[in-house]
Amino acid sequence: MKDEHIISLIENASLAILSENDLAVIHAHTKECSDCFRAFEAAQVSLLLLKEHSIVQFEPSPFFHTRVLATLRERQAVNDVWAFSRLWRAAGALASSMVATVAALAFLTFVIPDTQVATISQASPNANGYSAEEVILDQAQSDEVSDGQLLTTIYDGDEETR
Amino acid sequence: MEEAAQEVFLKAFTELGSYEGRGSMEGWLTRITTNTCLNLLRSSKRRPELTVSDLTEDQTEWLDKNLTDAATEQHHSTERSLVAADLAGRVLQSMPADDQLVLTMMDGEDASVKDVAAITGWSESRVKTQAFRARRRMREAVEKLLAGRKARRQELGSARS
Repeated sequence: MKDEHIISLIENASLAILSENDLAVIHAHTKECSDCFRAFEAAQVSLLLLKEHSIVQFEPSPFFHTRVLATLRERQAVNDVWAFSRLWRAAGALASSMVATVAALAFLTFVIPDTQVATISQASPNANGYSAEEVILDQAQSDEVSDGQLLTTIYDGDEETR
Repeated sequence: MEEAAQEVFLKAFTELGSYEGRGSMEGWLTRITTNTCLNLLRSSKRRPELTVSDLTEDQTEWLDKNLTDAATEQHHSTERSLVAADLAGRVLQSMPADDQLVLTMMDGEDASVKDVAAITGWSESRVKTQAFRARRRMREAVEKLLAGRKARRQELGSARS
């Protein structure tokens, strides 16, 4: 029981802040108990090590400042890329829909009217039942008829004058 | 150490905008430093348990000196302090990150339970429990080193006689 008590006493708080009374109890006990003596001895060395460890001051290397600034610039560059990607994620849908709308308008403006004219020009003879050749032949026939009519008109005109 | 210092500077610079001026600047920087160091310690690989055979000649000598006059006044010198600090670092590296933090702050720098709780964000009961376990681990590690050194000295003594 006494062993546990002493060990828990040195583990509950730092040896540096133990009261005089606690230390007296520990010293009295460690004279009789070798296990607690070893534990106390180790606790003392531990405390000494930790104190020395905290006293040591860190001295950075001569290029520490330069390296910190370089790393900062690198991280800022990476952050800029990330910021653009975040912006794109936020506005990407809007930009994509705008591009799609412009493309659709351009298609409707420039491509559809041309195809309509071509379709009309190709489809109109068929719609009237004439091909281009027929139209030309018809025209020729009509020319012949009009020549006949012209002769008739001339002759008729002569007879009338007689 | 330098890696941790660099990380602290970078974090302090990038998060300066988040400092609202409610607490002290020192407290804000201490929290950044503590969290950065804790994260680095957690991410770094823990070293295996330190044994007497792993110690350098200087460290062995330091232990011998402290075995003979553990309870007496220590002879402080810069060289001895560096040896002790290096040994402490090696012992601490074999322990969990939270143990290292609590031991360094409470036993090394005499921070109170309340201070450690405020800096780490842990509850005071957690700090006490952590400190209790950490002291036990540290003491057991040092006790093994001392026992190993004593045994070695006895071997050498018997060999001479």
